[in-house]
Amino acid sequence: MDLNLTEEQTLIVGMVRRFVREEILPLELGLDPDASELPAEEKDRLVALTREMGLYGLGIPPEYGGPEIDLVTQTLIAVEMSQHRAGLYAPCYGAFGGAGLAQLFEATEAQKERYLYPTLKGEKRGFFGLSEPSGGSDPARAIQTRAVREGDDWIINGGKLWISGADKADYGLVFARTDPDRGRNGVTCFIVDADTPGFHVRRIVHTLRAAHYATELSFEDMRVPSANILGKVNGGFAIANDRLTRQRIPYAAGCIGVAIKAQEMALDYVPQRETFGAPLSTRQGIQWMLVDNDIDIRQSLWITLEAASRADQKQPFRKEAAMAKLVATEAGGRVVDRCMQMFGGLGVAKELPFERWFREMRIRRIGEGPSEVQRHVIARELLGASFR
Amino acid sequence: MKVLVPVKRVVDYNVKIRVKPDNSGVDLSNVKMSVNPFCEIAIEEAVRLKEAGTATEVVAVTVGSSASQEQLRTCLALGADRAVLIETDADAQPLGIAKALKALQEKEGAELVIFGKQSIDGDNSQTGQMFAALTGMPQGTFASEVKIADGRIDVTREIDGGLQTVSLKLPAVVTTDLRLNEPRYASLPNIMKAKKKPLDVVTPDELGVDLTPSVEVLSVEPPAERQAGIKVESVEELVDKLKNEAKVIS
Repeated sequence: MDLNLTEEQTLIVGMVRRFVREEILPLELGLDPDASELPAEEKDRLVALTREMGLYGLGIPPEYGGPEIDLVTQTLIAVEMSQHRAGLYAPCYGAFGGAGLAQLFEATEAQKERYLYPTLKGEKRGFFGLSEPSGGSDPARAIQTRAVREGDDWIINGGKLWISGADKADYGLVFARTDPDRGRNGVTCFIVDADTPGFHVRRIVHTLRAAHYATELSFEDMRVPSANILGKVNGGFAIANDRLTRQRIPYAAGCIGVAIKAQEMALDYVPQRETFGAPLSTRQGIQWMLVDNDIDIRQSLWITLEAASRADQKQPFRKEAAMAKLVATEAGGRVVDRCMQMFGGLGVAKELPFERWFREMRIRRIGEGPSEVQRHVIARELLGASFR
Repeated sequence: MKVLVPVKRVVDYNVKIRVKPDNSGVDLSNVKMSVNPFCEIAIEEAVRLKEAGTATEVVAVTVGSSASQEQLRTCLALGADRAVLIETDADAQPLGIAKALKALQEKEGAELVIFGKQSIDGDNSQTGQMFAALTGMPQGTFASEVKIADGRIDVTREIDGGLQTVSLKLPAVVTTDLRLNEPRYASLPNIMKAKKKPLDVVTPDELGVDLTPSVEVLSVEPPAERQAGIKVESVEELVDKLKNEAKVIS
């Protein structure tokens, strides 16, 4: 078993590392500490570079113009891309593009024309509307938004909570209950235009993330045509579930990248910083923090790469993806916390990225399915049918 | 026109290096290595010449251990057509490297040889000049601009106090300065292609060259550590300190 990167992976990783170091880090010095977007002309310049590199549109299938790279390599890239202040929620400030709502690749041709292609071109933005005030991790039960058929249309009533980007979106995927008696098999996914009468963004929900706030939505007699159903009627759960499983791997990768960067900064700092007449690096209390960081980073990385590798080989990877998400978000939090401690007062200052990472990393243990739900998923995989 | 580009594997410029405790050299264990930045500029210039139709083939070459293959692959991913590793575990020095490259040039017969002006590890700035002297080829060092026409190459050189342009008859040697170009990022398709491009390995013996070092390193010392700055209370104090402590004004 060879655990080394391939020659190509080494070159690709080196190229993305250089991009972050030479293009993103200097630019970031002049941005607001909580910035998540670049000025348009800067963004265009960087996108031109990533297009030249052949890496624009990561996560987009090659037949839609994305680069042809396996998930392991994409994961390695994601780990590199997040090694800067905004890296957790805005890796490289979006310069590498991305698939956005990946489930639109399952759409009908007419739906693709209307929603997918403009999204890939950056002309339209979508949101993913699954969670409701009643919960997000248990969509089979928590979805109370109702869609009732009326002729060739569906009338949707209800609401969503914790939805990112809905206030700036042109459309979104809205999961609604179409059969009250069938649990997970009674949920349908609708593509909803944001200008549909009855669609309301009720409020902005501010969180630990300063830039990427969430929103609360409400739907009042919102009329959506059958043509806007993504997939099949009562087939929404599979669409949501597949997305949630896949999303866990890049979610983990971002946490790993930030942890690597935090540790790199700490390793650089502790030999310089003197207390009581000796550098911090000579203190065992500090050394052990660095050791624990390294182990945390390493275990997160390997578990995540294993999940990606299984997905590449078309093996089941639900358990591994849940483990990656669980381990990387928790380890990432510990690493950032320890680094903050080593930097002392500087660690909490806005001049350094730790305070932003600290706040955003805390969300990672809750977003995309909290740690407890990941453990639940893993337990179910371990115990199989006997679990129920 | 064939262009030969000698490159060097060096510690990545972003790494903070440490001197070994016995002062015998720089600690290279577990340190990221890269193509010397000036050599990247040389590769970029050669690839641009090829894209412009001036050059027909770009050959990257290095003298070093088998680990240097990684840097040669980088050159191939940046657009070189093939690569040659002159493999040695010896501590190759500028004169030995220049001799090995001369032997290779005799086989390759490149019309243009582009070096980086110096490597960021040894900072010798010797190999290109020694190679030119050994081969008898004309040289244009520290180039910030090159123009090729009618069997000649005009090289604009960055010298103290300004720019100097020299016109050389091909075949010629050029060493690159920082402002000659801005190297591109390798692209994914080129990275994928790089693996299929030929990378030949030859030994100094096969080239009939002796790489035994002629210079012995006695000791390597880190630069003196910079003292922390201080705050002064008044302009008078500042002037006093500049006069009497720093002795930079009188």
